[in-house]
Formats: sequence, C-alpha cells, structure tokens
Amino acid sequence: MEFRDNKAIYLQIGDYVCEHILLGKWKDEEKIPSVRELAVSLEVNPNTVMRTYELLQNKNILSNKRGIGFFIAEDAIKQIKLYRKVQFMDQELPVFFRNLYLLDIGFEELETKYEKFVKETFTNP
Amino acid sequence: MSNSFNFNRFWLLVKRQWLEFGKIYLISLLVITGAVIAFYFYALPEPDLHTTNLSSVYQHNNDGYVNLNFRLPLFLTLGFMFISIIASGYFSLLGQKSKAIIELMTPASTLEKWLCGVFYTSILSVFSFLLIFYLTDMLFVNYLQKIVGQISYTITSDMRSAPETVVLSVKPFFIDFFDRQEMQSLVLFPFVITSVFLLGSAYFSRFHYIKTAVVVMLFCTALIYTMIKVAGWLTFNKVQDSANFGFRSHSGEMLGYVLIGTALITLFFWTVTFFRVKEKEV
Amino acid sequence: MITINNLNFGYSKHNLLFKDMSMQLSAGHIYGLLGKNGAGKSSLLKNIAGLVYAQSGSLKVMGFDPAKREPELLADICFIPEEFYLPSIKIDAYIKANAPFYTKFDYAYLNVLLEEFNIPISNKLVNMSYGQKKKFIIAFGLATQAKLVIMDEPTNGLDIPSKAQFRKVMASALTDDRCIVISTHQVRDLDNLIDTVIMLDESTISLKASIEEITQKLTFKKMKELDETVIYAEPALSGYNVVVPNFHQEDSKMDIELLFNAVIAEKKKLKPIFN
Repeated sequence: MEFRDNKAIYLQIGDYVCEHILLGKWKDEEKIPSVRELAVSLEVNPNTVMRTYELLQNKNILSNKRGIGFFIAEDAIKQIKLYRKVQFMDQELPVFFRNLYLLDIGFEELETKYEKFVKETFTNP
Repeated sequence: MSNSFNFNRFWLLVKRQWLEFGKIYLISLLVITGAVIAFYFYALPEPDLHTTNLSSVYQHNNDGYVNLNFRLPLFLTLGFMFISIIASGYFSLLGQKSKAIIELMTPASTLEKWLCGVFYTSILSVFSFLLIFYLTDMLFVNYLQKIVGQISYTITSDMRSAPETVVLSVKPFFIDFFDRQEMQSLVLFPFVITSVFLLGSAYFSRFHYIKTAVVVMLFCTALIYTMIKVAGWLTFNKVQDSANFGFRSHSGEMLGYVLIGTALITLFFWTVTFFRVKEKEV
Repeated sequence: MITINNLNFGYSKHNLLFKDMSMQLSAGHIYGLLGKNGAGKSSLLKNIAGLVYAQSGSLKVMGFDPAKREPELLADICFIPEEFYLPSIKIDAYIKANAPFYTKFDYAYLNVLLEEFNIPISNKLVNMSYGQKKKFIIAFGLATQAKLVIMDEPTNGLDIPSKAQFRKVMASALTDDRCIVISTHQVRDLDNLIDTVIMLDESTISLKASIEEITQKLTFKKMKELDETVIYAEPALSGYNVVVPNFHQEDSKMDIELLFNAVIAEKKKLKPIFN
C-alpha cells in the first residue's frame, strides 16, 4: 500500500480496511487480520493499526471480541457509507465546490456528466 | 543463576572464545612446535668421527650425560615468546570498537570473561607449551639414548678410589632443568609473564605487545637501578667487604621468598586486569 | 523499562554531551531517536546498554544498573551497533556458540527471520556483504527474545527490498513487553514504524512525544501563503510545507523531517506547546 502525503496514517489504514470490506475482499462477520498481521503487511507500527481498529470500532464498523480479535460488524457496509459520507462532505466537497465556483461549472452540466459517468461505470451492458 | 559466576556460562564462554581465539592459538602452537623441532635437529650433537677416543665421540659432562646445553636457552626464549604473544593478543579485541561491543554485550559476567582470559593465557598456553616441549624433548632424548647407550668409558680421578666404568646417557630436559636450584624458584615466572601481557592487552588499544614489552623493560631497568643505588647507599662503608662474611641465605628460604613474590605479582596483575576489563568503555 | 534521572554524561568532564537528562521509556513502543550528527544518539544508546559510564545521575534498565553489566540484564538486551564485527565462521557455528547464552532463545523464530531476510544458514559470515551481516545480527538479536532492543542506524547499508523486509520484521517484533529504541538519520525509512519521537539537541532531550500527541498539537500541511500562526515553514513546489498549531483538530500526517527541522530551528515556540 502506498501512503499519501497529507492524511494521517491511521486514517489511511482506515480507508484501506473500509475499501476491503466494501469490495467484499473481507467478508461480513468474518475475522479480519489481526493488528500484528496488518501491521506487518503494511510495514507500520502495530500501535497505529490498533488506533485504526479502535476508531473503526467506535464507528461501529468493526467489533472487538475479547481474546479473539476484530470482526466485521453486522451492518458494517452501512456504517462505512455513513462514515465515508461524513468524510466526503467535510473534506472533499469543499475542494470540489471551490473548483466549481472558480471554473464556472453549472449544476446542469454537472448533472449530465454525473449521469453519464454512472451509466458508463456502474451499469453492465 | 548467579550474576557473578555460573560454571555453565563460563564454559559456554570458553567454547565461544575457542571459535576465534582457538585459531590464532593453534597456529601459534604449530609454529612453535615447528621451531622447537627445527632447533633440536639443528643443535643435536653430531658424533665426532675423527676422534679415536670412544668417549669423546659425544661431548659429555663428568657424570656421563651428553651435553645438550642448547635446550635451556631454547626453552626460555621460545617459551617466553609463545606465552607472551598469546597473552598479549587475548584482550586486544577490546581495543577495537566493533569487537569490543560484541564482547561486552555477551551475557556473561566480567568475572567469567576475565577468568576465561586467565584460563586461555595462563593455563592453556603455558601447559600446552610445556607439553610440546616435553614431548619433543622425549622424542629426541630417546633417539639419542639409543645411539649413545652403547658407549661406555672408564674414568679415573683423585676423588675416586678405583677407576669407574660409566655408560653415556642422555638426561631429559625437565629433569635437567629442575636439577638446577635457581630454576626451581622460577616455576611461577610464566604466570608473571602471562599476567603482565594480559594486562597489556586490556590496557593498550593498539600495539599491545610492543608497548607492554617497553613498559616492562623500562620498569625493570628503573627498579634494578634503584635497588642497586639504594643497596649501595645503605651498605656503603657499613659492611665488611668479604665474600664469605655476612648474611647468607639458605637456599630453601630464598626459594620461598621468590615463589611468594612471583605469586603476589601475578595476582596483582590479574586483579588490575579484571578491573581494567570491568571499567572498559567503548 | 528505562528510567533516566538527571544524567550527566560526557567523554570529558568539561565538555558534557548530556546535561541533567531525564526520560522514561516503556515497553510496547518503538522509539525513534533523532538528532543531528554529534548530538549524542549513539552515546545515549551506549549509556543504556552499559557500554559507557555516566559522570552522574541514575540510569535504570528493567531495574538494573546497566553499568554493572550483569548477565541477567545483558541477556535481555539486544544491541545492534552501527559498526559491528562478526567472526569468520559459519552461521550455524555462530548460533551454536552464542545462542545458549540467551535462555529464552527462539531457534524457530530465527529460522523464520533468516528466511524472511533470504540468508542461507550455511553461509560463512565473513563472505557476506555488510547488509547481509546486518540482517543476520538483527535476526539473531531479535531471536534472543530480549525485552529491550536497541538499534543504531539499522537501515544503513540495507538495500531497498531489505528495508521493506526490515520494516515488516520490526512491525512483528513489537510486543507489549518489548521496548524498541532505534536511532536513525534515515527517517523516511522508518517514519511509519516509530510511534514515539525522541529528539536530542543541545545536550538535552528537546522533544519526546508520541506521534498521536504530536499530530494532536501540530498540523503538518501545505500552504500557499504564510501567516502569523505558522511555527515553521519550508518552501516547497507549490507554496510551503508548514508546521502550525493544530487549532481545528485536524488529522494530518506527521512529516518527520519537517518536525525535525522545526524543533532545531524553533525550540522556543514549540516548547510551550509540548509542556
């Protein structure tokens, strides 16, 4: 995994975990890699991974079964979407809006582009 | 487990040191063995074939022992060289940062590390040299004995009432050695040498051998000079100048003093070495 | 794990390298020891390992005085120096001679590590490259199961794949009862590995804080124009890389080099933030 420059590592690891859950690489209610395993594969300090797991537990994405390890929570995907939505609204949208404003891009133009994008990317022919 | 001495740990240390120190040691031992054998070959008396007198074929002393006088200087010189070189190499690794760190971080106590040094330099090296010399000597003595054992001659002298027939023979070196009164008192001297060179190896960080040798020489010269001066000053015009007058030591008494003296000096050097290793910083 | 109180240390009495240094290190962390050349990183590590003696003050490692060099403590310290020496023997002979000193030595773990590092056990130590040797002593040191792991510039001499192997190995080596102290100039090699930064400067510890604490108090970001809140700034491609106080609970990624330079340059501004 390549870490980007501007975002805290433990949040980037959070994104990585969420991605794996959303893409179905880690299955629902399955045990996920232990703190140590993930730390080794990402070459980071286990304490950082622990911080990520605790954060995701607080967001109800992971659940911690004492003595066994971390599991994917029941409605993890719903929680991830919620969590990512907040993140997107808070962090990425302001930048996006700024560009819309600076480049004089209207909402109608945006709407057509958006519909075309969804059609091309997410609907299978 | 005790933190100052544990035999198991000491033995591990001895085994570990052998891996590295053993090589230098064995090579030195091999060289010294070669040197001893070479000298024996070179210096072994040749029969004088020009003489008509049977007893003069080999030079011998009055008791019928073949002269092998080269052995004593050979033994002393080579012995000194071997044990001093081995001893001055032992703690030299403490002078090199990278080696010293590994050595000092090895989980054994300073006492064990020091004892290991004493074992290698004072016990193993001294006794292996004695063994090598003894074996070589025995080999040549037996060989020579076979040749000269048949030669006998008659001696007459004023001391003897009747002429005696003597068979030539060869005396083993160590028997010859301890027949000399003055040599008996030197039995602990090898340990003085190894202990001082061991200290030198721990004290100096480079050129251990030369530096130790120079310091010892300077010290001895100074000591002897002072002793002569002091003795001269103490006794000048006070003692009757006569060879047969005054104090004469009984040889036994002298032997005791020398033994105690050398033992104390050895212990002193060993103790200083121990503290030197203990205080060593990298 | 390590308690240092009012330590004074120097190679000569008049020129002290550390003055009145105090610090506590605990198990379960990887400490990154940073400092300029000559700031005394190696000397601090040597003090902890008992290889040099301080002038005054107290230094305790797991309750022991390291200067006494007691075997029980030595068996619990893994010290990887920058320059080291290995005898010219085979790896298995080295292991046979040295491992028994460590009662907790884990032979299976050593094999795992040597495999991870691609070092065949039949190799002769003297024929290996510097990097290979370094990986070997790291593997051996970790297999001793020592509770305190001290490494002086461990990534020096390691090639790029080896550095990744090293980070993996260290990530797995950190356990709750182990304390790892790494001194380094190669901060980029290790910046995701360490969780607490210790900075040595001007004969004292100018900063000791966990990355969590640092990013709570400071924000590392890019700015187009500097303003009065900026503590430290360095020109970058499009504007400046800056360190500013973290007013808005922003979660930024710590830039360890930027922090290092900020601590050296702006000690006075940073001091109140961390006290």
